[in-house]
Amino acid sequence: MSEFSVVGKRVPKVDARAKVTGRALYADDIYIPGMLYGRIVRCWEYAHAKVKKIDVSEAKNMPGVVKILLPEDTSGYPSYNSGTMDMFASDELNATWGELGEQVIFTDHVKHQGDAICGIVAKSEEQAERAVEKIRVDYEPLPVYLTAEESKQPDAVPFHPDKPNNMAYKVPGVIFPEGYYGYGDVDKGLDEADLVYDETFYVPKQKQCQMEPHCYIALFDDKNRLNVWTSTQMPKPVHNKLSRIFGLPMTQVKVNQTVIGGAFGGRLGLVGEPATCAMAMAVPGRPIKVNYTREEDWVASESRNPGFWKLKMGFKKDGTPVAYDANFTTLKGGYYTHAGVVFVSGILARAHYKFENWRYDGASYFTNQAPCGAFRGYGNPQQSFAMEQLIQRMCNETGIDPVEWHMKWHRDIGEDIYGFGVPIQSCGAKEALQKGAEAFKWKEKRKKYANQTGVKRRGIGMMLGVHASAGFPVLLEHTVATVKLNEDATAVVNCSISDLGCGNHTAITQIAAETLGFPMEDVFLLAGDSDANAFDIGAHSSRTIWTAGLAVKEACEDAVRQILEKAAKFLKVDPKDLEMKDKKIFVKDNPAQVVDLADMLWKGIYAFMDPETFQFPFERGQIIGKGDFMPFANNPAWYACFVEAEVDMETGAWKLIDCCYVNDIGKAIHPPSVEGQLEGGIQQGIGYALTEEIYYDANGLCLNNNFTDYKMLGPSDMPRCDIHLLETPEPYGPYGGRGAGEGGLIGPVAAAANAISDAAGVQITEGPITPEKILKAIKEKGR
Amino acid sequence: MKTRFITLYVDGEEYKLDVPVNRTLLQVLRYDLGKMAPALTGTKLGCGTGECGACTVLDEDRNSILSCLTLAVLMDGKKISTIASLEKDGELHPVQQAFVDKGAIQCGYCTPGMVMKSVSLLERNPDVTEEEIRAELEGNICRCTGYVKIVEAVEQARDQMKAQAGK
Repeated sequence: MSEFSVVGKRVPKVDARAKVTGRALYADDIYIPGMLYGRIVRCWEYAHAKVKKIDVSEAKNMPGVVKILLPEDTSGYPSYNSGTMDMFASDELNATWGELGEQVIFTDHVKHQGDAICGIVAKSEEQAERAVEKIRVDYEPLPVYLTAEESKQPDAVPFHPDKPNNMAYKVPGVIFPEGYYGYGDVDKGLDEADLVYDETFYVPKQKQCQMEPHCYIALFDDKNRLNVWTSTQMPKPVHNKLSRIFGLPMTQVKVNQTVIGGAFGGRLGLVGEPATCAMAMAVPGRPIKVNYTREEDWVASESRNPGFWKLKMGFKKDGTPVAYDANFTTLKGGYYTHAGVVFVSGILARAHYKFENWRYDGASYFTNQAPCGAFRGYGNPQQSFAMEQLIQRMCNETGIDPVEWHMKWHRDIGEDIYGFGVPIQSCGAKEALQKGAEAFKWKEKRKKYANQTGVKRRGIGMMLGVHASAGFPVLLEHTVATVKLNEDATAVVNCSISDLGCGNHTAITQIAAETLGFPMEDVFLLAGDSDANAFDIGAHSSRTIWTAGLAVKEACEDAVRQILEKAAKFLKVDPKDLEMKDKKIFVKDNPAQVVDLADMLWKGIYAFMDPETFQFPFERGQIIGKGDFMPFANNPAWYACFVEAEVDMETGAWKLIDCCYVNDIGKAIHPPSVEGQLEGGIQQGIGYALTEEIYYDANGLCLNNNFTDYKMLGPSDMPRCDIHLLETPEPYGPYGGRGAGEGGLIGPVAAAANAISDAAGVQITEGPITPEKILKAIKEKGR
Repeated sequence: MKTRFITLYVDGEEYKLDVPVNRTLLQVLRYDLGKMAPALTGTKLGCGTGECGACTVLDEDRNSILSCLTLAVLMDGKKISTIASLEKDGELHPVQQAFVDKGAIQCGYCTPGMVMKSVSLLERNPDVTEEEIRAELEGNICRCTGYVKIVEAVEQARDQMKAQAGK
């Protein structure tokens, strides 16, 4: 019997019916009378080039062409950082990474294949496409840099005036005067270690592959307002950014968030909004839709930071972790976007285990590939792929059971796991490991698969993981929410929080209903309207339940407080003596003394004076509760993931058998949504480890910008998924809930890698772990 | 571009239209019919190259087809069923209801295609096994769910449709 009436219930998702009938409106489903269609002319031939000349003479005479926007037509708009990094962090922190605003709407310096050259507006999508074909661009090809080594040569073409050696970002410097992020004496630790492992891992470039391609509509209307329809993850930062780029006050910019067809970080910050708005500003009064093709989506929105993770770890013979020394060099792609991933990767690595000494450094270099930035997991999958494989190597050598090692050495309650003075207040790591090992039958399988021979061999792998519940204390965490009580005792929650499809809007509605004591159907969440909604940084960093959940809860608690105060005045008692249940407010000791909530709210709004007494029956006024929330804790969900795989020793082909995933969610506000995110995370996480990478040819041109050549796990490739949600006590999160979004992807990465290496007897340090690499390693070992 | 007059019977409605011969069925459903009736934007464009299945609709024989790879003119005189045809008098189709019940919907963009593919599958093979469901759904990509709840939903719909048929 749950203590909650709405929270934790498996209610249908608030958006399920609209989506299952096809009636949910995504950006491309919206048609506005008078609509025109924009296309962005992109450079497909080169990954690095200067634009010498754009000849539009033929294109401008093509049927239906309304407007062609050249770089000079948009050069008056300030450059910007598409990742909106500058809005996540304080001015002091911003100062450490320097000027980020390097992105322009249309460029004459092509930094990656697909960079935007100019724009065309036409009466139909097809006419716009045909006109694009008639644009003639003369390019001067520049040397193509596909590695950090090439990009940082002294004579390399600079990508950014403020970034010497094409280094987009470097961890130490101002934040860490000692020159690195960490603690202790790592060199001494490594000297004193009995076992030292030194390895360089390559972590691949993964694409979000959200199913809805990017699509935008913009209209500069007759009230001089710039209206934008976008499925951005962060409508409020986009609202402010567009207002600054186009020199309009925020009241003159309206962001309408459309239903989001998947995001996974790919809609973080600005993507196609500036170009679409520039077209709208050039053709006032006409709505303009810019619908990306899949191949455009592939090259023009950010992907996961790939790179080389150099890792040295020292242990005592008994497994005591004494030293961790890592350096992550990432290939940034053409633009800065979220170069800070390289830093966050180190923070999240540190959060895991009690190493006695710790040192982390990292840097991002501009290269001529599509930009890399936010992708579910934000640096954590990369570090996990490296660290968990070396832990497995140590366990194999020492004979220590990996589950026991993780049980013993994970960080715990009271520890400042991120290194910024914020100790965690809860930790379910042990419970997750225990539950997972039991459900997966770890010990039995470990014994059974210990000494296999034959062609097909089974193997098991596991990992322990931890991810943040929000961006605090590194990034801005702020959400403002209000709840307005209607005169019929229903409520409208007003909060800008996004639902990327994960069920956030359902869970937030549940939190509000629970707090107000209302049935779920009496609560409506108004989101995605930048005029109505107050500030919220947006959906990222697994923060929605943690921060927006608590903001909405605070707003609803404020409303309940106002209800009780109003009723107390009427009943002439102390609010402390009152209780509300089923929309009735009564005196605890004397339930006969009761006020009907609907009656009180009605008479607060339709407030007629008694003609004889000249008194209002209830205090006049509509109740609006407010929550203005910033968290001062970040208690993460710990998760343990176990994978069983089979490898064919003759071909290197693998098959996934089982995946047991235990997540210490604290409290699953909407359990199907949490399960669904973990199950989807398995598809993405195992994909990252085993199949997914964007490949480029020697000229920096993408070789697999489609769903045939870029292999994601299909329904038949998936292992059996066994999901367990743990609900260990959580003192801070709303109703005990923690963040769930990103962890789903991270666990399966290393667990799958370890299962493959356990089966095949070889460890593959270069992701993705394809059959070819496995076979090569098996053959090399056999030699 | 050359055009041709064609007649389409979409979700039980007759549409007579003049379409360019290079126009896909998907474009006609999503954008052109909107000028004559409520647009049928339930059918989604995910890739435009027949790789993701978001545009899946049913042909006259209730086989699933990819509307993004089907030229509209080739469907002249044919019946087509989209996601909009499934709900009857406010009642969801058992497949739709199962997707809602199981929480098989996250971002929802693959959902209409996934539902139509499943409807076609269950009509052809009422006893479909889990393994067959997985194999049949290979052409419909979902990036949110890992297919777990989708497969469960199709199994629930299968059982329910069989129970209904048995009555």
